[in-house]
Amino acid sequence: MRKIFPAEELARDSRFVRQSNEDRINDPRGARVGGSTGEKLSKLTPNLPNGPDRARALMHGIFVGEIQALEGAGRTCYDFETNTDVPFAMKLDMARQCWDEARHCEISVALAEHMGTEIGEFAENTLLYQAACNPDPVLRLTGVNRALEGLAIDVFNTMKEFGSIAGDPVLEFCEDWMLADEVTHVKMGSDWLRELTLNDKERLTKALEFQKVVDRLFSFNGFRGEDDENPIQLTRRFRELAGFSDEEIDDIAQMSREAAAEIVH
Amino acid sequence: MTEIQIEPNSFEMVFFDAEKIVNLASEVAQILGLGNEQIKLRIDETSSMGRSKIESYEPIILAVDGGAFENTQRPRYLGETRTSETIARLLMRIIDRRSPEFANAPEDDVLDLPLRVAWDTYTAGRLNHIGLSTQMKRRQYQFRNRHGFSDAADKAFTYLWESPNKLAWADIERISVDCRATLV
Repeated sequence: MRKIFPAEELARDSRFVRQSNEDRINDPRGARVGGSTGEKLSKLTPNLPNGPDRARALMHGIFVGEIQALEGAGRTCYDFETNTDVPFAMKLDMARQCWDEARHCEISVALAEHMGTEIGEFAENTLLYQAACNPDPVLRLTGVNRALEGLAIDVFNTMKEFGSIAGDPVLEFCEDWMLADEVTHVKMGSDWLRELTLNDKERLTKALEFQKVVDRLFSFNGFRGEDDENPIQLTRRFRELAGFSDEEIDDIAQMSREAAAEIVH
Repeated sequence: MTEIQIEPNSFEMVFFDAEKIVNLASEVAQILGLGNEQIKLRIDETSSMGRSKIESYEPIILAVDGGAFENTQRPRYLGETRTSETIARLLMRIIDRRSPEFANAPEDDVLDLPLRVAWDTYTAGRLNHIGLSTQMKRRQYQFRNRHGFSDAADKAFTYLWESPNKLAWADIERISVDCRATLV
Protein backbone atom coordinates (compact mmCIF):
# COMPACT_ATOMS: atom_id res chain seq x y z
CA MET A 1 0.00 0.00 0.00
CA ARG A 2 1.40 3.38 -0.95
CA LYS A 3 2.22 6.08 1.54
CA ILE A 4 0.92 9.69 1.51
CA PHE A 5 -2.34 8.92 -0.28
CA PRO A 6 -3.50 11.70 -2.67
CA ALA A 7 -6.74 13.54 -1.86
CA GLU A 8 -8.01 13.08 -5.41
CA GLU A 9 -8.22 9.33 -4.88
CA LEU A 10 -10.13 9.25 -1.61
CA ALA A 11 -12.94 6.72 -1.87
CA ARG A 12 -16.45 8.13 -2.06
CA ASP A 13 -19.69 6.72 -3.41
CA SER A 14 -21.82 8.37 -6.08
CA ARG A 15 -23.69 10.57 -3.59
CA PHE A 16 -20.63 12.73 -2.97
CA VAL A 17 -19.67 15.62 -5.21
CA ARG A 18 -16.18 17.07 -4.94
CA GLN A 19 -15.41 20.79 -5.18
CA SER A 20 -11.78 21.59 -5.93
CA ASN A 21 -9.81 24.10 -3.90
CA GLU A 22 -9.38 26.16 -7.06
CA ASP A 23 -13.14 26.36 -7.58
CA ARG A 24 -13.70 27.27 -3.94
CA ILE A 25 -11.02 29.94 -3.85
CA ASN A 26 -11.94 31.32 -7.28
CA ASP A 27 -15.57 31.84 -6.38
CA PRO A 28 -15.76 35.64 -6.79
CA ARG A 29 -18.59 35.80 -4.25
CA GLY A 30 -16.28 34.80 -1.40
CA ALA A 31 -15.52 31.61 0.45
CA ARG A 32 -18.57 29.74 1.67
CA VAL A 33 -18.85 28.36 5.12
CA GLY A 34 -22.05 26.96 6.52
CA GLY A 35 -24.08 28.77 3.92
CA SER A 36 -22.56 32.16 4.57
CA THR A 37 -20.33 34.11 2.25
CA GLY A 38 -17.96 37.01 2.22
CA GLU A 39 -20.94 39.29 2.78
CA LYS A 40 -21.64 40.72 6.21
CA LEU A 41 -21.30 37.83 8.60
CA SER A 42 -23.10 37.28 11.87
CA LYS A 43 -22.93 34.80 14.70
CA LEU A 44 -24.69 31.56 13.80
CA THR A 45 -27.81 31.35 15.97
CA PRO A 46 -31.34 30.01 15.41
CA ASN A 47 -32.63 33.58 15.66
CA LEU A 48 -31.28 34.44 12.22
CA PRO A 49 -33.92 34.02 9.50
CA ASN A 50 -31.60 31.63 7.65
CA GLY A 51 -30.04 30.20 10.85
CA PRO A 52 -31.48 26.68 10.53
CA ASP A 53 -30.43 26.41 6.88
CA ARG A 54 -26.92 27.66 7.66
CA ALA A 55 -26.65 25.16 10.49
CA ARG A 56 -27.83 22.42 8.12
CA ALA A 57 -25.14 23.28 5.57
CA LEU A 58 -22.51 23.50 8.32
CA MET A 59 -23.58 20.09 9.62
CA HIS A 60 -22.87 18.60 6.21
CA GLY A 61 -19.46 20.28 6.26
CA ILE A 62 -18.82 18.75 9.68
CA PHE A 63 -19.84 15.33 8.36
CA VAL A 64 -17.39 15.36 5.43
CA GLY A 65 -14.77 16.86 7.77
CA GLU A 66 -15.19 13.86 10.08
CA ILE A 67 -14.67 11.46 7.19
CA GLN A 68 -11.48 13.28 6.20
CA ALA A 69 -10.28 13.45 9.82
CA LEU A 70 -10.74 9.68 10.03
CA GLU A 71 -8.82 9.23 6.80
CA GLY A 72 -6.06 11.59 7.99
CA ALA A 73 -5.59 9.91 11.38
CA GLY A 74 -5.65 6.52 9.68
CA ARG A 75 -2.95 7.59 7.24
CA THR A 76 -0.80 8.84 10.13
CA CYS A 77 -0.95 5.35 11.65
CA TYR A 78 0.28 3.86 8.38
CA ASP A 79 2.47 6.47 6.66
CA PHE A 80 5.21 6.58 9.30
CA GLU A 81 7.53 3.87 10.61
CA THR A 82 7.16 2.97 14.27
CA ASN A 83 10.08 4.15 16.42
CA THR A 84 12.19 5.52 13.54
CA ASP A 85 9.58 8.12 12.49
CA VAL A 86 7.15 8.20 15.41
CA PRO A 87 6.72 6.41 18.76
CA PHE A 88 4.26 3.54 18.97
CA ALA A 89 2.29 5.42 21.61
CA MET A 90 1.60 8.20 19.12
CA LYS A 91 0.23 5.69 16.61
CA LEU A 92 -1.92 4.30 19.38
CA ASP A 93 -3.33 7.79 19.97
CA MET A 94 -4.04 8.11 16.24
CA ALA A 95 -5.79 4.72 16.27
CA ARG A 96 -7.95 5.91 19.14
CA GLN A 97 -8.69 9.06 17.17
CA CYS A 98 -9.79 6.92 14.20
CA TRP A 99 -12.25 5.21 16.51
CA ASP A 100 -13.57 8.60 17.68
CA GLU A 101 -13.81 10.00 14.16
CA ALA A 102 -15.66 6.93 12.90
CA ARG A 103 -18.18 7.43 15.70
CA HIS A 104 -18.42 11.13 14.80
CA CYS A 105 -19.19 10.18 11.20
CA GLU A 106 -22.10 8.05 12.38
CA ILE A 107 -23.34 10.80 14.72
CA SER A 108 -23.00 13.41 11.96
CA VAL A 109 -25.03 11.33 9.52
CA ALA A 110 -27.77 10.99 12.13
CA LEU A 111 -27.65 14.71 12.93
CA ALA A 112 -27.73 15.67 9.27
CA GLU A 113 -30.81 13.53 8.80
CA HIS A 114 -32.34 15.11 11.91
CA MET A 115 -31.79 18.52 10.31
CA GLY A 116 -33.22 17.49 6.96
CA THR A 117 -29.97 17.16 5.04
CA GLU A 118 -29.13 14.36 2.65
CA ILE A 119 -25.66 12.89 2.30
CA GLY A 120 -24.01 14.63 -0.64
CA GLU A 121 -26.50 17.51 -0.70
CA PHE A 122 -23.59 19.94 -0.54
CA ALA A 123 -20.24 19.85 -2.32
CA GLU A 124 -17.25 18.37 -0.49
CA ASN A 125 -13.89 20.09 -0.38
CA THR A 126 -10.84 18.07 0.70
CA LEU A 127 -8.70 20.87 2.10
CA LEU A 128 -8.84 19.27 5.55
CA TYR A 129 -7.46 15.95 4.33
CA GLN A 130 -4.76 17.74 2.36
CA ALA A 131 -3.45 19.26 5.58
CA ALA A 132 -3.09 15.65 6.76
CA CYS A 133 -0.72 14.84 3.89
CA ASN A 134 2.33 16.65 5.23
CA PRO A 135 5.32 14.27 5.02
CA ASP A 136 6.66 15.40 8.43
CA PRO A 137 4.62 13.71 11.19
CA VAL A 138 5.14 16.65 13.54
CA LEU A 139 3.85 19.16 10.99
CA ARG A 140 0.97 16.86 10.09
CA LEU A 141 0.00 16.46 13.72
CA THR A 142 0.24 20.18 14.32
CA GLY A 143 -1.79 21.07 11.22
CA VAL A 144 -4.47 18.51 11.88
CA ASN A 145 -4.67 18.03 15.64
CA ARG A 146 -3.97 21.58 16.73
CA ALA A 147 -5.24 23.75 13.85
CA LEU A 148 -8.12 21.70 12.43
CA GLU A 149 -9.24 19.88 15.55
CA GLY A 150 -8.94 23.24 17.30
CA LEU A 151 -11.33 24.63 14.71
CA ALA A 152 -13.60 21.65 15.40
CA ILE A 153 -13.73 22.71 19.07
CA ASP A 154 -15.00 26.13 18.00
CA VAL A 155 -17.48 24.69 15.49
CA PHE A 156 -18.90 22.07 17.85
CA ASN A 157 -19.28 24.54 20.68
CA THR A 158 -21.11 26.95 18.36
CA MET A 159 -23.40 24.15 17.17
CA LYS A 160 -23.96 23.00 20.74
CA GLU A 161 -25.07 26.53 21.67
CA PHE A 162 -27.25 26.62 18.55
CA GLY A 163 -29.00 23.46 19.74
CA SER A 164 -29.35 24.82 23.26
CA ILE A 165 -30.92 28.11 22.11
CA ALA A 166 -33.23 26.31 19.67
CA GLY A 167 -34.34 23.88 22.37
CA ASP A 168 -33.01 20.99 20.30
CA PRO A 169 -31.62 18.44 22.79
CA VAL A 170 -30.51 16.04 20.04
CA LEU A 171 -28.17 18.60 18.48
CA GLU A 172 -27.04 20.01 21.83
CA PHE A 173 -26.04 16.70 23.42
CA CYS A 174 -24.51 15.15 20.29
CA GLU A 175 -22.32 18.20 19.78
CA ASP A 176 -21.34 18.18 23.44
CA TRP A 177 -20.19 14.56 23.25
CA MET A 178 -18.18 15.17 20.09
CA LEU A 179 -16.73 18.34 21.59
CA ALA A 180 -15.31 16.31 24.48
CA ASP A 181 -13.47 14.08 21.98
CA GLU A 182 -12.13 17.06 20.05
CA VAL A 183 -10.59 18.54 23.18
CA THR A 184 -8.80 15.22 23.65
CA HIS A 185 -7.58 15.22 20.03
CA VAL A 186 -6.18 18.72 20.34
CA LYS A 187 -4.53 17.79 23.65
CA MET A 188 -2.89 14.83 21.88
CA GLY A 189 -1.53 17.24 19.28
CA SER A 190 -0.23 19.61 21.93
CA ASP A 191 1.40 16.79 23.93
CA TRP A 192 3.05 15.10 20.94
CA LEU A 193 4.26 18.40 19.52
CA ARG A 194 6.03 19.09 22.80
CA GLU A 195 7.37 15.52 23.07
CA LEU A 196 8.65 15.18 19.49
CA THR A 197 10.34 18.58 19.36
CA LEU A 198 11.83 18.49 22.85
CA ASN A 199 15.37 18.92 21.54
CA ASP A 200 14.59 20.39 18.15
CA LYS A 201 13.60 24.04 18.34
CA GLU A 202 13.81 24.47 14.56
CA ARG A 203 11.28 21.70 13.95
CA LEU A 204 9.01 23.15 16.63
CA THR A 205 9.13 26.56 14.93
CA LYS A 206 8.38 25.00 11.53
CA ALA A 207 5.47 23.05 12.99
CA LEU A 208 3.95 26.13 14.62
CA GLU A 209 4.36 28.06 11.37
CA PHE A 210 2.56 25.27 9.50
CA GLN A 211 -0.20 25.40 12.10
CA LYS A 212 -0.57 29.13 11.43
CA VAL A 213 -0.80 28.51 7.69
CA VAL A 214 -3.59 25.97 8.23
CA ASP A 215 -5.34 28.22 10.76
CA ARG A 216 -5.16 31.04 8.25
CA LEU A 217 -6.54 28.85 5.43
CA PHE A 218 -9.47 27.91 7.63
CA SER A 219 -10.14 31.43 8.84
CA PHE A 220 -12.45 31.73 5.80
CA ASN A 221 -12.56 35.49 5.58
CA GLY A 222 -12.88 35.86 9.33
CA PHE A 223 -15.74 33.47 9.93
CA ARG A 224 -14.22 32.20 13.20
CA GLY A 225 -13.39 34.68 15.96
CA GLU A 226 -14.52 36.35 19.16
CA ASP A 227 -16.62 39.18 17.79
CA ASP A 228 -20.40 39.20 17.36
CA GLU A 229 -20.15 39.10 13.58
CA ASN A 230 -18.12 35.86 13.60
CA PRO A 231 -20.46 32.95 12.73
CA ILE A 232 -18.23 30.52 14.61
CA GLN A 233 -17.09 31.64 18.05
CA LEU A 234 -13.56 31.02 19.25
CA THR A 235 -13.80 28.90 22.39
CA ARG A 236 -11.12 30.00 24.83
CA ARG A 237 -11.89 27.69 27.76
CA PHE A 238 -11.85 24.44 25.77
CA ARG A 239 -8.73 25.50 23.89
CA GLU A 240 -6.98 26.15 27.20
CA LEU A 241 -7.96 22.65 28.35
CA ALA A 242 -6.47 21.30 25.11
CA GLY A 243 -3.07 22.87 25.71
CA PHE A 244 -3.31 26.22 23.92
CA SER A 245 -1.62 29.17 25.61
CA ASP A 246 -3.43 32.52 25.95
CA GLU A 247 -0.96 33.97 23.47
CA GLU A 248 -1.79 31.32 20.87
CA ILE A 249 -5.54 31.94 21.28
CA ASP A 250 -4.96 35.70 20.97
CA ASP A 251 -3.05 35.04 17.73
CA ILE A 252 -5.95 33.09 16.22
CA ALA A 253 -8.43 35.79 17.21
CA GLN A 254 -6.18 38.43 15.65
CA MET A 255 -5.75 36.35 12.49
CA SER A 256 -9.52 36.20 12.12
CA ARG A 257 -9.86 39.97 12.53
CA GLU A 258 -7.20 40.51 9.87
CA ALA A 259 -8.90 38.06 7.50
CA ALA A 260 -12.23 39.84 8.01
CA ALA A 261 -10.60 43.22 7.40
CA GLU A 262 -9.23 41.97 4.08
CA ILE A 263 -12.81 41.38 2.94
CA VAL A 264 -13.97 44.82 3.98
CA HIS A 265 -11.21 46.66 2.11
CA MET B 1 -49.08 33.60 -22.03
CA THR B 2 -46.74 34.34 -19.13
CA GLU B 3 -44.24 37.06 -19.81
CA ILE B 4 -41.08 36.65 -17.75
CA GLN B 5 -38.49 39.38 -17.52
CA ILE B 6 -35.17 38.68 -15.93
CA GLU B 7 -32.54 41.01 -14.50
CA PRO B 8 -29.71 40.69 -15.36
CA ASN B 9 -29.96 39.02 -18.74
CA SER B 10 -26.50 37.53 -18.48
CA PHE B 11 -24.30 36.60 -15.54
CA GLU B 12 -20.63 37.13 -14.78
CA MET B 13 -20.09 35.67 -11.32
CA VAL B 14 -22.22 32.55 -11.72
CA PHE B 15 -22.80 30.19 -14.63
CA PHE B 16 -26.56 30.71 -14.84
CA ASP B 17 -28.44 30.50 -18.13
CA ALA B 18 -31.03 33.31 -18.19
CA GLU B 19 -33.13 31.53 -20.81
CA LYS B 20 -33.28 28.41 -18.69
CA ILE B 21 -34.46 30.45 -15.68
CA VAL B 22 -37.13 32.12 -17.81
CA ASN B 23 -38.36 28.72 -19.00
CA LEU B 24 -38.47 27.34 -15.46
CA ALA B 25 -40.33 30.40 -14.16
CA SER B 26 -42.78 30.23 -17.04
CA GLU B 27 -43.44 26.55 -16.44
CA VAL B 28 -44.05 27.11 -12.71
CA ALA B 29 -46.35 30.08 -13.38
CA GLN B 30 -48.42 27.96 -15.79
CA ILE B 31 -48.75 25.13 -13.29
CA LEU B 32 -49.88 27.54 -10.57
CA GLY B 33 -52.43 29.22 -12.81
CA LEU B 34 -50.56 32.48 -13.28
CA GLY B 35 -50.16 31.92 -17.00
CA ASN B 36 -51.40 35.34 -18.02
CA GLU B 37 -49.22 37.37 -15.71
CA GLN B 38 -46.13 39.45 -16.24
CA ILE B 39 -43.42 38.40 -13.86
CA LYS B 40 -40.13 40.16 -13.29
CA LEU B 41 -37.22 38.29 -11.66
CA ARG B 42 -34.39 40.25 -10.10
CA ILE B 43 -31.37 38.10 -9.33
CA ASP B 44 -28.46 39.28 -7.19
CA GLU B 45 -25.67 37.13 -8.57
CA THR B 46 -23.14 38.61 -6.13
CA SER B 47 -24.75 36.77 -3.23
CA SER B 48 -24.54 33.05 -2.60
CA MET B 49 -27.06 33.38 0.23
CA GLY B 50 -30.53 31.96 -0.35
CA ARG B 51 -32.74 34.94 0.44
CA SER B 52 -35.82 35.58 -1.64
CA LYS B 53 -38.69 38.05 -1.39
CA ILE B 54 -41.65 39.50 -3.20
CA GLU B 55 -40.68 43.02 -4.09
CA SER B 56 -44.05 43.83 -5.64
CA TYR B 57 -47.34 41.96 -5.77
CA GLU B 58 -48.87 44.01 -8.59
CA PRO B 59 -47.07 43.78 -10.97
CA ILE B 60 -45.23 40.67 -9.77
CA ILE B 61 -41.58 41.36 -9.02
CA LEU B 62 -39.50 38.70 -7.27
CA ALA B 63 -36.04 39.46 -5.87
CA VAL B 64 -33.71 36.58 -5.08
CA ASP B 65 -30.11 35.99 -4.10
CA GLY B 66 -28.21 33.94 -6.65
CA GLY B 67 -27.76 31.29 -3.96
CA ALA B 68 -31.50 30.63 -3.97
CA PHE B 69 -31.18 29.33 -7.54
CA GLU B 70 -27.88 27.55 -7.02
CA ASN B 71 -27.05 23.85 -7.19
CA THR B 72 -25.71 23.17 -3.68
CA GLN B 73 -23.64 20.29 -5.02
CA ARG B 74 -22.08 22.49 -7.65
CA PRO B 75 -21.69 26.07 -6.42
CA ARG B 76 -22.12 28.83 -9.04
CA TYR B 77 -24.18 26.55 -11.29
CA LEU B 78 -27.96 26.66 -11.66
CA GLY B 79 -29.98 24.20 -9.59
CA GLU B 80 -33.15 23.66 -11.58
CA THR B 81 -35.22 22.06 -8.83
CA ARG B 82 -34.16 24.75 -6.36
CA THR B 83 -34.97 27.50 -8.85
CA SER B 84 -38.44 26.13 -9.57
CA GLU B 85 -39.13 25.61 -5.89
CA THR B 86 -38.05 29.12 -4.91
CA ILE B 87 -40.16 30.74 -7.62
CA ALA B 88 -43.14 28.49 -6.85
CA ARG B 89 -43.01 29.30 -3.13
CA LEU B 90 -43.07 33.04 -3.81
CA LEU B 91 -45.82 32.78 -6.42
CA MET B 92 -47.91 30.65 -4.10
CA ARG B 93 -47.72 33.37 -1.46
CA ILE B 94 -48.93 35.86 -4.05
CA ILE B 95 -51.85 33.57 -4.89
CA ASP B 96 -52.67 33.24 -1.19
CA ARG B 97 -52.60 36.98 -0.63
CA ARG B 98 -54.99 37.54 -3.54
CA SER B 99 -57.60 35.41 -1.81
CA PRO B 100 -59.95 36.90 0.81
CA GLU B 101 -58.90 34.20 3.29
CA PHE B 102 -55.51 35.89 3.58
CA ALA B 103 -56.74 39.49 3.74
CA ASN B 104 -55.69 39.74 7.38
CA ALA B 105 -52.16 38.39 6.90
CA PRO B 106 -49.55 40.95 8.04
CA GLU B 107 -47.40 42.61 5.40
CA ASP B 108 -44.24 40.65 4.55
CA ASP B 109 -42.01 43.22 6.27
CA VAL B 110 -43.71 42.77 9.64
CA LEU B 111 -44.46 39.06 9.44
CA ASP B 112 -42.64 37.43 12.36
CA LEU B 113 -40.41 34.43 11.77
CA PRO B 114 -42.60 31.68 13.28
CA LEU B 115 -45.63 32.83 11.29
CA ARG B 116 -43.57 33.08 8.12
CA VAL B 117 -42.24 29.57 8.64
CA ALA B 118 -45.72 28.21 9.35
CA TRP B 119 -47.00 29.78 6.14
CA ASP B 120 -44.00 28.44 4.23
CA THR B 121 -44.76 24.97 5.59
CA TYR B 122 -48.33 25.17 4.32
CA THR B 123 -47.01 26.45 0.98
CA ALA B 124 -44.26 23.81 0.61
CA GLY B 125 -46.73 21.06 1.52
CA ARG B 126 -49.09 22.09 -1.25
CA LEU B 127 -46.22 22.39 -3.70
CA ASN B 128 -45.07 18.94 -2.68
CA HIS B 129 -48.45 17.55 -3.64
CA ILE B 130 -48.03 18.87 -7.17
CA GLY B 131 -44.39 17.83 -7.47
CA LEU B 132 -42.86 21.29 -7.11
CA SER B 133 -41.25 20.95 -3.71
CA THR B 134 -39.18 18.41 -1.92
CA GLN B 135 -37.19 18.41 1.32
CA MET B 136 -40.00 17.77 3.77
CA LYS B 137 -37.43 17.05 6.53
CA ARG B 138 -35.69 20.38 5.91
CA ARG B 139 -39.01 22.19 6.28
CA GLN B 140 -39.74 20.24 9.43
CA TYR B 141 -36.39 21.27 10.93
CA GLN B 142 -37.16 24.92 10.16
CA PHE B 143 -40.60 24.52 11.71
CA ARG B 144 -39.20 22.88 14.85
CA ASN B 145 -36.68 25.70 15.25
CA ARG B 146 -39.53 28.20 15.40
CA HIS B 147 -42.18 26.12 17.17
CA GLY B 148 -40.23 23.78 19.41
CA PHE B 149 -38.80 20.30 19.21
CA SER B 150 -41.90 18.60 20.54
CA ASP B 151 -44.69 16.24 19.61
CA ALA B 152 -47.08 19.18 19.49
CA ALA B 153 -44.89 20.97 16.97
CA ASP B 154 -44.54 17.84 14.85
CA LYS B 155 -48.29 17.33 14.85
CA ALA B 156 -48.83 20.95 13.80
CA PHE B 157 -46.22 20.59 11.08
CA THR B 158 -47.89 17.48 9.67
CA TYR B 159 -51.27 19.20 9.66
CA LEU B 160 -49.88 22.22 7.77
CA TRP B 161 -47.84 20.06 5.40
CA GLU B 162 -50.72 17.78 4.53
CA SER B 163 -53.22 20.65 4.60
CA PRO B 164 -56.25 18.46 4.08
CA ASN B 165 -58.46 21.50 3.64
CA LYS B 166 -57.79 24.92 2.22
CA LEU B 167 -56.52 26.88 5.16
CA ALA B 168 -57.09 30.55 5.81
CA TRP B 169 -54.57 32.92 7.36
CA ALA B 170 -56.45 32.71 10.66
CA ASP B 171 -55.89 28.93 10.72
CA ILE B 172 -52.16 29.23 10.12
CA GLU B 173 -51.83 31.93 12.76
CA ARG B 174 -53.81 29.90 15.31
CA ILE B 175 -51.77 26.74 14.67
CA SER B 176 -48.49 28.63 15.04
CA VAL B 177 -49.54 30.56 18.15
CA ASP B 178 -51.06 27.50 19.87
CA CYS B 179 -47.95 25.52 19.17
CA ARG B 180 -45.65 28.15 20.65
CA ALA B 181 -47.89 28.43 23.70
CA THR B 182 -46.87 24.87 24.63
CA LEU B 183 -43.20 25.90 24.83
CA VAL B 184 -41.84 26.21 28.34
